[in-house]
Amino acid sequence: MIMADKGNRKVYLHLNGKAIGYVEQPEAFVAEVRSSRRKGQISGEVNIAYFQKNGEIHINTDRGRLRRPYVIVENGKSKLTAETLEKLKKNEINFNYLLRSGMVEYLDAEEEENAFIALSEEQVNEKTTHLETNFTSIFGLTINTSPYPEHNALARHAMSANFIKQAEGIFASNFNQRFDSRGYILFYPQVPIVSTAAYTSAGIDKHPSGQNFVVAISTYYGYNMADALVINKAAVDRGLGRSLFYKSYSDEERRYPGGQRDRFKMPAPTADGYMGEHAYSKLSEDGIIEPEMEVSEGDVLIGKVAPPRFLEESIGAGGLEEKMRDDSTVLKTGEVGKVDSVILTETTGATRVVKVRIRSLRIPEKGDKFASRHGQKGVVALIVNQEDMPFSDSGIVPDLLLNPHSIPTRLTFGHLMEMLAGKAGTVSGEKVDGTAFVGDGKERLADYSQTLKSHNFDEYGDETLYDGITGTAFKAKVFTGVVYYNRLYHMVSNKIQVRSRGKVQILTHQPTEVKARQGALRFGEMERDALIGHGASLLLKERMLDQSDKTTVLICRQCGDIGYYDHIKRTTVCPTCGSGQLTPVDISYAFKVLLDEIKSMHILPSIKLKE
Amino acid sequence: MANVKGKRFIVNYGEPVGMIAAQSIGEPGTQMILRTFHYAGIEATIATSGLPRIVELVDARKKPATPITYIYLNSSTRNSFEKAEAVAKKINEVNMGAITRRSIENFSKGAIKFILDEQTLAANELTPQQVAQKLAKSMEVHTKVDKGGDIIVRLKTKKLSEIRAINVKIMKKTIQGVEGAGKAVIQRSKDGEFYIVAAGSNVEALIDIDGIDKTRLYTNDVFAMNRLFGIEAARNTLIRELKNTLDEQKIDVDERHIALVADAMTYSGDIKGVGRHGLSGQKNSVFAKAAYEETVKHLVNAAAFGEIDPMRGVTENILVGKQIPIGTGSVRLAIKKEDLKKAKPVK
Repeated sequence: MIMADKGNRKVYLHLNGKAIGYVEQPEAFVAEVRSSRRKGQISGEVNIAYFQKNGEIHINTDRGRLRRPYVIVENGKSKLTAETLEKLKKNEINFNYLLRSGMVEYLDAEEEENAFIALSEEQVNEKTTHLETNFTSIFGLTINTSPYPEHNALARHAMSANFIKQAEGIFASNFNQRFDSRGYILFYPQVPIVSTAAYTSAGIDKHPSGQNFVVAISTYYGYNMADALVINKAAVDRGLGRSLFYKSYSDEERRYPGGQRDRFKMPAPTADGYMGEHAYSKLSEDGIIEPEMEVSEGDVLIGKVAPPRFLEESIGAGGLEEKMRDDSTVLKTGEVGKVDSVILTETTGATRVVKVRIRSLRIPEKGDKFASRHGQKGVVALIVNQEDMPFSDSGIVPDLLLNPHSIPTRLTFGHLMEMLAGKAGTVSGEKVDGTAFVGDGKERLADYSQTLKSHNFDEYGDETLYDGITGTAFKAKVFTGVVYYNRLYHMVSNKIQVRSRGKVQILTHQPTEVKARQGALRFGEMERDALIGHGASLLLKERMLDQSDKTTVLICRQCGDIGYYDHIKRTTVCPTCGSGQLTPVDISYAFKVLLDEIKSMHILPSIKLKE
Repeated sequence: MANVKGKRFIVNYGEPVGMIAAQSIGEPGTQMILRTFHYAGIEATIATSGLPRIVELVDARKKPATPITYIYLNSSTRNSFEKAEAVAKKINEVNMGAITRRSIENFSKGAIKFILDEQTLAANELTPQQVAQKLAKSMEVHTKVDKGGDIIVRLKTKKLSEIRAINVKIMKKTIQGVEGAGKAVIQRSKDGEFYIVAAGSNVEALIDIDGIDKTRLYTNDVFAMNRLFGIEAARNTLIRELKNTLDEQKIDVDERHIALVADAMTYSGDIKGVGRHGLSGQKNSVFAKAAYEETVKHLVNAAAFGEIDPMRGVTENILVGKQIPIGTGSVRLAIKKEDLKKAKPVK
């Protein structure tokens, strides 16, 4: 790389990362490119950056660059005048006009290095080249939708962004017509009392996804330790956090080479894999379930028969059409609900398709997850009758009790500010703006205090609460406010699972894994280590053998190979050495598989028995 | 009371001490990765610390990344800085590279010219003549000092590759001090005693230096300790080094767990690492070895040599589904079954 020196300056010019030549007067060149872009002589998508240290100019015109708009500043003056803004407000001009007339331009990451960007109009000086469109844009859209983001820790923002994705709301207003594989619909979504400018301008207030909860920061007999939540039963009964869960199943009549095809119908009891009369009892004559039918685990939703997988099967049974395989769609384990809607339609390939949507009501229960917009998540641990909840002088009973320990270590002061602001908004009946950096934090809080005071509430949001059980007042005042909470779609009813005995894997004879397969919980390596560490050898044996893949094999006392029992001759036989002296031994089936695999590699393992 | 308390700490028969030791070191060890500190200090005396050091020790690496030797001085030298400095001078390793500013290879004449750095030369109280002499002796080459104080080395060969190789070799040559001792720095202990810290571990050479206290020579190089003082010293060094590294990160592990690891590594008389090539590779169960690493290799070897698995370890017994010989499983009936039948009830 040739460094540009003062006498003879040669600056290398790169177009989309490739060196294409050099420029002798870099500043003038860059300035010219920029001015012609602003004039519209070249495309607005061209970005140019001059790296003085390296002696390089980079021009980028390719795709995949992140670019964002800035107001152009020239000679210490913003090009975007109040006049133009007024016109913009009246809809006389649009944003594209601003771009065309050289008031606003897009910069990419490289050109941004050359820019000197002011956050607000007051900060503009002679050196300034650009002006940020809005001071909150140092945060992204996601963070800007939550209130008081400047008072929260970054890690909590990251969590909060994830939780908002998981929040239940009304994801589409035509959810009734849709057959999404999963859908969660909140019964009474509310617009947050404390919202932000970005929240409204992004249009999220048109389809909100949460509710305003009356929250008291208090313990409740230890039931809200470690991010557990205590909620009010009366509030739940009034519809707090209530939602619907939709799940769709679908199946089609597939065609196979050879002219065979699937058929939607009630499978005949002779069909291969018939599940018994009871499973099909809810189907109507056409083999498809009816709407509003109550269904639960194991019920068939769509009856379907398919041709056998292998030709031999049908030949053996005689008659190609006769022998069919049951290929019905069954409601998955642990699911219950009502059939919401059934449609029968055709694909473009003229095969019939059935879609069945199951609906089930999801009332908040122990184990359901809620989160505020500050990354404060919690799981319901107790639903308390209203009469047992703490109440205030004015008879207000909180919807939710949040443990005070969840605040200090997580540095989510925005949560507390939202509580106060929410309360102020509630008493005054006005929405509160929680946009980042609007005024000083202290001043904002003073404002809310003033509102509360004028409505005869404590200025700091504290309330004297009375124990719902004893009726006595708590010694300390309790901070109470209104927070916007999201109900997240992680619900116990979708996750709960039990097993004592059940399915096993074919290869190893060990219990299956995963909920959908009625699986067991893995007793893994580290759990095994714990038992070894305790010297609990019998308990370990029980877990690893008796409750897993125990099998009894016959082992030859002469050659040490595995033999079998001949039921006709009623003797034990060793096929390797022909001896009849075999001993039954309990081993794990996995070990038998290992021995078989070793044998398959032409190695003969033998087992020597004691005695 | 002491008797009762003391007895409580005696390990029971069948207690899986190895597993407990592994867990006791491993669990707090997971926190170590995130907490690596960096110190200010003389570069040469900063040892590797944290997880890399633990790995180095437990794997029994032949050469530690940062060997350090603590050389204590005897009663005649330890109380005076001047005397300590004299000893340090004898130890401090100065190689050709450190005193050379530039070397010029002359391929047509078959010679290399070394332009020496006068400042470092003076600091080490060396003259070009001394350096030339030393080089001539140790490299068996003809050397000459020219008017400017540069050293010219004449070689028999004129081959480019050979000249370059010799040049590199000369640059590494020790001119003064003990070879492999590294940079020696004088430090003062809390009780006012001077001692030397060297960034090398050539203990065999260091022990013969006059003025040092041979009984207190210590290095963090476990293998060097083994060569010089024997396996017991190596074991103690291993414990001390492990303990110090853990203590540095405020990880509190009982010394007996560490001692057990050190014992397992050294009981055979030489130092074996934990892992495939060390302890785990020495297991006498085919299944246990196959379950750990290189499954196929162990199975093939077992087949080729007709190995027999005695089924005495933990892994192999879990695999087949037998009770493991640990804890409750370590108790067995010592009487033969036939003898039991003959037994009569005690009245």
